[in-house]
Amino acid sequence: MFKSLINVAARRLAGAIPTVLLLSMVVFFVLRALPADPLALLLPPNATPADAEAVRKALGLDRSIVIQYLIWLRDALSGDLGNSIAFREPVTRLLANALPATLELAAVGLAFALIISIPGGLLLYGTRGTVIENVLDVLVVCMLSIPSFLWAIFLLLGFGVALGWLPFSGRVDSGIVIPDGTGFLLIDFIVNLQWGYWQNALAHLILPAMALALGFSPLVIRVLRSSLLEASEDHYVTVARQRGLNERQIILQHMLRNSALPTITLIGAQFGFLFGGTLLVETIFSYPGIGNLMVQAVRNHDLPVIQGVALIFCITTLAINTVVDILYVVLNPKLRRV
Amino acid sequence: MTAVLSFDDVTVTARMSGRKIDVLRNISFELGQGDIVGLVGESGAGKSMIGRVISGLLPDNFSVSAGTVSFDGMNLETLGKAERRALLGRRIAFIPQEPLSALNPVRTIGSQFAEHLRHIGIERSRHRALMIERLKQVQLRNAEEALLRYPHELSGGQCQRVLIAMAFAGEPALVVADEPTTALDVMTQAHIVRLIAEQQQVHRTALLFITHDLRLAGHVCRKVGVMYAGDMVEFGPASAVLKAPSHPYTKSLLAANPDLTGPRRVLPALSDHMPGLASFAGLAGCRFAPRCAVKDQDCASTRLPPRQIGEGHWVRCSERCEAGVNTESREVISVPAAVAGAPAAVAFDRVRLSYHASRGFMGLQRSRFDAVKSATFQVQEGEILGIVGESGSGKTSIGRLIVGLEKPSEGTIRVHGEERASGAVYLTHRDTQLIFQDPQSALNPRRSVMRLVTQALEVGENYAPESERRAVAEALLRDTGLPPDCLDRFPSQLSGGQRQRVNIGRALGARPKLIVADEIVSGLDVSVQAHILNCLLDLNRKHRLTMVFISHDLAVVRYLCSRILMMHAGDIVEEGPTEAVFSNPQHPYTKALLEAVPPDNADKPWPPVLEADPAMGALR
Amino acid sequence: MSSSIPSSGAFKAARPPSALAEALRQAIRSPRVVIGGSIVIAMVICAVFAPQIAPNDPANQDLLNMLLPPMWAEGGSIDYPFGTDSLGRCILSQMIYGARVALFVGFVAAIGATLLGTTLALLAGYFGGWIDRAISHLVDLWMSLPPVVLSVTLMVGFGTGVGNVILSIVLVDWTRFCRVVRSEVMVVSRKDFVAAAKLLGFGNIRIILREILPSVAPLIITLFTLQVGIGIIVEAILSFVGLSVPANVPAWGQMIAQARNYMYQAPWGIILPIIAMFITVLGFNLLGEGLRVTLDPRLRKRNI
Repeated sequence: MFKSLINVAARRLAGAIPTVLLLSMVVFFVLRALPADPLALLLPPNATPADAEAVRKALGLDRSIVIQYLIWLRDALSGDLGNSIAFREPVTRLLANALPATLELAAVGLAFALIISIPGGLLLYGTRGTVIENVLDVLVVCMLSIPSFLWAIFLLLGFGVALGWLPFSGRVDSGIVIPDGTGFLLIDFIVNLQWGYWQNALAHLILPAMALALGFSPLVIRVLRSSLLEASEDHYVTVARQRGLNERQIILQHMLRNSALPTITLIGAQFGFLFGGTLLVETIFSYPGIGNLMVQAVRNHDLPVIQGVALIFCITTLAINTVVDILYVVLNPKLRRV
Repeated sequence: MTAVLSFDDVTVTARMSGRKIDVLRNISFELGQGDIVGLVGESGAGKSMIGRVISGLLPDNFSVSAGTVSFDGMNLETLGKAERRALLGRRIAFIPQEPLSALNPVRTIGSQFAEHLRHIGIERSRHRALMIERLKQVQLRNAEEALLRYPHELSGGQCQRVLIAMAFAGEPALVVADEPTTALDVMTQAHIVRLIAEQQQVHRTALLFITHDLRLAGHVCRKVGVMYAGDMVEFGPASAVLKAPSHPYTKSLLAANPDLTGPRRVLPALSDHMPGLASFAGLAGCRFAPRCAVKDQDCASTRLPPRQIGEGHWVRCSERCEAGVNTESREVISVPAAVAGAPAAVAFDRVRLSYHASRGFMGLQRSRFDAVKSATFQVQEGEILGIVGESGSGKTSIGRLIVGLEKPSEGTIRVHGEERASGAVYLTHRDTQLIFQDPQSALNPRRSVMRLVTQALEVGENYAPESERRAVAEALLRDTGLPPDCLDRFPSQLSGGQRQRVNIGRALGARPKLIVADEIVSGLDVSVQAHILNCLLDLNRKHRLTMVFISHDLAVVRYLCSRILMMHAGDIVEEGPTEAVFSNPQHPYTKALLEAVPPDNADKPWPPVLEADPAMGALR
Repeated sequence: MSSSIPSSGAFKAARPPSALAEALRQAIRSPRVVIGGSIVIAMVICAVFAPQIAPNDPANQDLLNMLLPPMWAEGGSIDYPFGTDSLGRCILSQMIYGARVALFVGFVAAIGATLLGTTLALLAGYFGGWIDRAISHLVDLWMSLPPVVLSVTLMVGFGTGVGNVILSIVLVDWTRFCRVVRSEVMVVSRKDFVAAAKLLGFGNIRIILREILPSVAPLIITLFTLQVGIGIIVEAILSFVGLSVPANVPAWGQMIAQARNYMYQAPWGIILPIIAMFITVLGFNLLGEGLRVTLDPRLRKRNI
């Protein structure tokens, strides 16, 4: 089996490099070539003509687009993604601070989504043929019609403002010092044995993660339920019933394992959906992740940041896809070639 | 001594669209300890339904409305769900059909077998030893290794052996085998049937053997019950039912099976087909009456009780009908002959067809699989050539090569003298048509029958404007024996036999000179099969249509073909006139295949003791 | 459907209704289709007849009546049934006119994504080989960015405006169409009736249009309907970020974004456009779901 896993990983990584390269070209072209006056997007409002000239030289704006891209690529490969116009800081540093926050949020969001969807899908399957199923079904369709940013607003207004149960701004209460470490607060605080701060960080994560989860769950519930329905009519399930196994055993030992496959495929395929939701959810909750960073950069016309964030999103998505592929091979013996 | 299983006047009723339909009517039979009883019938006759009654897994709107089903003296219907389930796997075991899909594809054989052992109450420490012992008993080589494998890594025969081992593991009193060999090759079937019979003897289990193959049941079972449309029409000792059948349906079922030996007689074909559930309500009396040749005016309205006609032999038919259909004097037919002196319709010269697959690290290694190794043969104008082989022998590939759906990797193919052009664009010739095996996949569900059979008229040389097409369609329906009111129906509204005829009609619509029929009757009921075979013979005679008939069924091939090619693993191992090859086979594979087929005569011993099953090689 | 046909005499030789008429008749029986369809039609009417329906001019700023609550709350006025926003504009009128942008963007973008995605899916699924590989790589490339991020990036490059919003939705969402339709096309292409058509001399284009397209049409219709809902959501997201229509054009996303600043004092300002958006998207989702079940005979049995 391990040979197949390495195979898959190698193939994916080999494919990822040209993909990242190509995508960086596309993003570059869109942001540099399309706007009427790219220079204006690259300068702070109070720039002097001398500043403008310096930037023009450094980025090669008077040369062809291809050369400009190569200049950018050369810089990027040596770790320099330019400086943010609004924050006057290197883009790489902004990204390094913000990325762990978003990854943490997405991970907790995914976890919440699974906690909601797996029992949800089982429930929807278990009540098939009854009136309850119809009611639940309509509920799922309603959930599908509410994107994560609307959930974010509801949760903020409801649990944050009206009920006051949970905080709705930032990663931790102001005044708490974020330790150096991985950047993942749930890990760093545990490592430093700061239990109270850990709880605080978790509390701040709950509402935004729930917003993401609620936007994502209906998709997973759907696919889990339909693959359970298909599996229940499979030949090996009827044969298992003939052997005397009860429904619970059949669902847990047989059907779920098979239904996991299309479910994981869907999660992998739609992960971008969850991940992209961070843009608005972070903005609404003032959560300092890369989504928030991008929205601010858009408002500030901060081109280098926009470019950097787009790149990071791309790399992260490809990494997740690789993980999903590997997981798929682990779970599906038919894919393991002897 | 109480019977192990007893059905006493059992009726199963279904509630569908507000109506009550008797799906099974007054079924009565018994199985004693160590008995082997066969349930024979075509698809939809209700034989599998009986299996579901035994397991208690009837669909929601079905229920046993009358009679008693007893197992070992207990009335099964009065047991609670949990008690009933407790019997399954332990005292009542099932051997399912389609073994490859009967096991969970994402769990190992070992884990599923162990789960079963756990369920029947064997303690964990004994699992491994017991599994290996049982798997060895069913002659599964490399038993230890098999436990770690997944179902898709085993062949159909190997999977079935595992399932048989699991079924007998709990030392059940009753084993129900539901079409256990239908999906398997002829040779594997012989092995599996022998295995089931052996296990049954060793464990002294009562065996209920469900099958559509009357001859097979005759060889395996001591007693046979014949099912038709939810009724059991005849029941008795196997030899009596097969040698001296009494019910008109049993007689026609036997007659519709082509013989492997003896003179070739016309297959009598029953009109129409067995009624489906929806029509049951309209058939109050004998459900076979509409198709029966010897019925009288009472048959359709009155149901007759079983009438004893011999020791343990009864039939649901009146004495008047015993004189019935005389199946002995069917005319002998001649072999379709080739047109003398005509050039070969198809000529293959050292043709190879290979597929490449990428394997290994990053898919850099390429492996080659030869579907057809080196084929050299000819098809004569006007003849019906048979290509016989098991799955994977390459026969389907030859068919596709003939019509041009595949391009040979090596060698030349000549059709009516012209060499097939081999360029970047590989054109098919409308002169050769293919009738596909699976009518579900072969007919576009969105086209009506009219538009399907006239599909060839929509383009090219056969083009005809819309106004002319209906007349052509009606002629084609006549040729294939379909009623004219089928024209505006859609495939989903047709039966399997009717769909297959539309398939043939569509191929004929292109006015081909040669037709390749790829397994077009496997999966069809025997009576429908007879119709189609006669239809093909007719077409060959009337239109001088050259045919290539691909099949794994030796008896069918013998009925239809003047010459045959035997294929095995991509090679043509034997070739010659049908009678010569069958009566005097030269190649060991041909000999083994002929031995593996259940003989016409129920007295001849079968299954034979074969050498190691060729499909039983190392695990893939 | 009956599983068998009674003997020939009993069957009338009548032409059954065309497949389309039959499908429509089935569709109307589904409550989802009816409810979803009604909502959609209601929204379309709102959009088309906005000038007649809306009580006020949505751009009119009544600075004396800013942040008015809806008429059923204390302090509300019948002139402004749903109240006003921070610049004194009538919320109800903005909502009604907002339907215009939403539906226009949703429909046109869905048409574009459908055409682009389906065409490439048909080519990739039917021909296979290098065509399939090339298109699949393109799809993979495009999908390596989360859709929201990609559309935001495109809008920064394109600049604001309804046309650009439509363009960026088409350029992002065609991939989803392509993926889903492609696998269905591949399944159909491998059916024997496609090989049979080739044997009868049908050219590739004819096979794609006559044999394959009708088989995937139900899927396409469903995806189209769902895509309209998605387009509406994406437009809202883009206006939230300020990248959609100019500020003086009423759009639900913009209303939400602006009302967010006054969320605490005047929650109605943000809740009402959210409800409008939710109901519209729900309508399209219900319609799409209902159509999926009625048009796909395999699902009909289960009555999902």
